[in-house]
Amino acid sequence: MDGLPLPHGWIGTTADWMRGFGIVFVLLNLVLLAVAWRSLRRSGVSASTRGWLFVAVGLLPLMVAFLSFAHGLEQSSTVASCGSCHVMTPFVADLRDIQSDSLAATHFKNRYIQDRQCYTCHSNYGLGGTLRAKLEGLGHVWRYTTGAYEIPIKIAAPYDNVRCLGCHGASQKFLNAAGHPKEELPNLARNATSCLDCHGPAHAAQQKAAAR
Amino acid sequence: MNEPSGRVRLLRIAIVLAAVFDILALLVFLREKPVFFAGFMFVGQPLFLVAVLLLLGAVVAELRAKQLL
Repeated sequence: MDGLPLPHGWIGTTADWMRGFGIVFVLLNLVLLAVAWRSLRRSGVSASTRGWLFVAVGLLPLMVAFLSFAHGLEQSSTVASCGSCHVMTPFVADLRDIQSDSLAATHFKNRYIQDRQCYTCHSNYGLGGTLRAKLEGLGHVWRYTTGAYEIPIKIAAPYDNVRCLGCHGASQKFLNAAGHPKEELPNLARNATSCLDCHGPAHAAQQKAAAR
Repeated sequence: MNEPSGRVRLLRIAIVLAAVFDILALLVFLREKPVFFAGFMFVGQPLFLVAVLLLLGAVVAELRAKQLL
């Protein structure tokens, strides 16, 4: 939506509303917890206190848990989220650089991928791909927090062509390109040839690291 | 330990744990950092589970004290 005026009657995205409701529920829950705390007496628990406790400790946190989980899962795949770790700064800076002609920047500035650009190119398709990406993301958080990583950052495994072919594979531009002879397509499909061999490097930061 | 004050203490611990859970959830909403989401998932949610178990424990203890269970 960058650079475009919002349409008339714009009321925000589902994610915006989930975030708003989540914050309201959290604040309401904190107030109810304070009320429950004050109504607790050493001599025992009154009927009204039981009601406050049921809502504040049992019921409302369930709503908060659902909204936080949904919001956190969605937000953890945004470019801003990937860029929040300083080791990713050069990659995200290159991605957003309209002068850059790296593969990632080209996809970003032309919006070949509309949003969640890092996640889209670094996760495989289907439920299995999502689960694997989330588990790997958890590993990244752990290594970043504990400092168990080396600079320059390198991709953990060779880049899988299926991530490129998921979008480009059925495109006529791809199928009819002189650089993609029909006899080469099976090699691309089974990763015998990498798309990045001809179209890389994906990131300018990689190029600089390789030059060092 | 006095029974009613023991139950009250359990419930106060449950309230504190639920409050910590809320604060961790608030961080997820306010800050776009994966570490806060991971913290919420692996610290916040277990704390909430413990809070609910303490609440249930207090309810069961009260029902037993009243010989309803």
